[in-house]
Amino acid sequence: MNLLPTAEQREIVDSLRSFLSARAPVSRLRPPAPQTGNSDHRLFRDLGDLGIWGCGLPEAVGGVGLSATEESLIYRELGRHLLSPAIFALTLGAHLLSQLKGKLLSSFIDGSARVGIANPRGRVSLAARSDGDVHLFDCAEAEWVLISDENGAGLFCRDDFAEIQPVPSMDNLVTLHRARLVDARPSFWAAAPDLHERALLLLSAFAVGIAEATRDMAVEYAKTREQFGRPIGSFQAIKHICADMAIRCEAAVCQTAFASLVLAEGHDGLAFHTTSSKLVAAASAIKNASQNIQVHGAIGFTAEADPHLFLKRAHVIEQLWGDSRRCRERILSLDLPE
Amino acid sequence: MNLHFSAEDIAFRAQARDWLHDHVPRERRPHAGPAARAYDLAWQALQHDAGWAGISWPKEYGGLGLSLTRQLIWHEEYARADAPDHHLCFVALNHAGPTIMANGTEAQKQYHLPRILKGEVIWCQGFSEPNAGSDLGSLRTRARVDGDHLVVSGSKIWTSHGHLSDWQELLVRTDASAAKHKGISWVICDMKSPGLTLRPIEIMTSPNQTHFVQCFYDDVRIPLTDVVGDLNDGWNVAMSTLAFERGTAQIRDQIRYAYLVEDMIAKAAERLGNDCPLSRDEIGARLADLRADMAAARAMTYMVVSRADAGMRGSEASLMRAMVGETQQRARRLALDILGPYALENSEEDDWVYFYLRSFSITIAAGTAQIQRNIIGERVLGLPR
Repeated sequence: MNLLPTAEQREIVDSLRSFLSARAPVSRLRPPAPQTGNSDHRLFRDLGDLGIWGCGLPEAVGGVGLSATEESLIYRELGRHLLSPAIFALTLGAHLLSQLKGKLLSSFIDGSARVGIANPRGRVSLAARSDGDVHLFDCAEAEWVLISDENGAGLFCRDDFAEIQPVPSMDNLVTLHRARLVDARPSFWAAAPDLHERALLLLSAFAVGIAEATRDMAVEYAKTREQFGRPIGSFQAIKHICADMAIRCEAAVCQTAFASLVLAEGHDGLAFHTTSSKLVAAASAIKNASQNIQVHGAIGFTAEADPHLFLKRAHVIEQLWGDSRRCRERILSLDLPE
Repeated sequence: MNLHFSAEDIAFRAQARDWLHDHVPRERRPHAGPAARAYDLAWQALQHDAGWAGISWPKEYGGLGLSLTRQLIWHEEYARADAPDHHLCFVALNHAGPTIMANGTEAQKQYHLPRILKGEVIWCQGFSEPNAGSDLGSLRTRARVDGDHLVVSGSKIWTSHGHLSDWQELLVRTDASAAKHKGISWVICDMKSPGLTLRPIEIMTSPNQTHFVQCFYDDVRIPLTDVVGDLNDGWNVAMSTLAFERGTAQIRDQIRYAYLVEDMIAKAAERLGNDCPLSRDEIGARLADLRADMAAARAMTYMVVSRADAGMRGSEASLMRAMVGETQQRARRLALDILGPYALENSEEDDWVYFYLRSFSITIAAGTAQIQRNIIGERVLGLPR
């Protein structure tokens, strides 16, 4: 038993982190960059070249042959850098297509597929024929749309959705549409619950990244910002907020790592652990992102600084494929694993 | 990263499980008093006689010297078997014993360590003072050298089970002119020493529950041979073994609390009945969050052990302690809401109310939640003092 990353795992994280800090710093999202939607899809092929999207797939199908544990470490970094939520469609779509031996697989692994994701607004029945109201995220130019629920995951053509209407997005750096599935047939569909557990795990890892990034921003600001002639981080009122942020990160990091190992090694209690991760990590992300704004004071309330970006994205993550209310309901229905 | 245990570890787990299953005392542990002392010592003696005592103690001192992974397995099985905690044996096994191992003379080791392992003696702590709590370094109980003795005068407080103890690990100021954390000595005090008087302090759980005592030292004579480590080096001696367990024993509490939450879920479902499914009730939502947080607490303990195993000696264990303590308090508070009006009955048979009241100490003892946040802020995050 060991929850610390191995040397190889640290190497993967380091190389991804240096790629992202060069090519996708959070500052890419600030004005004068357009303040609606994002252009992250331009990065997806290069990330594909790094093996990001096929990380957890066997080499025989063009993947890297690693596991959910490495995928989680990767998504933590992608979360720190606020990559478009379309990324979930690439990784999960690749897993789905790999299971179905779909011929599109290589375009998901290399990042060239134009994809977005859908999330239920209310009840959606997802099956070989699907119905219900959804939101589409970063689907403005997508060809494919991925959606996941407790029974599995499906890939639809964007054209399978009816009544696509743009709506203003709370997270304005993500495009948002309302749309509807009416007796729609997914192009690819697998009733494989593992896909949904992997979805929850990747969402948790992304949320961990947000929780850590906002902790680090708050701590850095508290060390340098001075009031009353002292760095504000020397005051317990601020120091304890930062300590609470660190405690939340540790809980989210550890539970997400644990859940990733349950998936990677095939232990009992997968749904219990992924759902716990989603609850703990999403709450940590929202709370840390909120506290980061408070530590920054007035500048944290502006669009000139970055804290608001993390808060808004944390709310998107919390909503995706089962919000906290749904996760609570789910976790009560499961048995406590050994 | 991995959650694997070796074949030898798995065999060890089976062995521990079997022994615990057959030997864990079935009678309920008394909360306090001489009966509690007798119960704890008997359980320690039973473990010793079967060769299970001192799982984290080195072999040279009579322990088993188990790896951290094996300790973790032992504690997991211990909790699963619902074995009684160390309670009154805690200070001796986890604090005084290890301190003597690390800093004591040969004579001190030979005398005290076997008695601790065999379950013959109870130790208590004499650290806090009426005016030195979180700021322990400002302690003022004085000890002057008189021939081959120290002569101690002053007072200690919040000494758990002092009235049931044989020995005390005592911090005294032996050089008043030195800087705050210098000039302190770590000494072994015989609780039967002339000049030592105890005032029982009842705690908030229920009437007549003496948990603490205040100790008054009126020229108590302690042989210089009972100083552990160098005279005036007591602060370093005390700090050297604070993290002796390195987190493995925490897993016991977490497994127990995870079971408590399961009991709470059952009781809540029973109380709400069929009219209101748990998942639609506010209590259900809080139970769901607790279940998730208990899972995270366990994963955090695995992380603490992973770091210790890798030789990383930072203050990160404070993150786990802070989270775990507050989650346990939340569980105890929720248990009360599940009881509803019966929360007002503090009965002997149903101990949820007793332990709710008891849970207030979790964020005070061994460093308050606020001191832990200072430590996290300064030593983990590098914020200025």
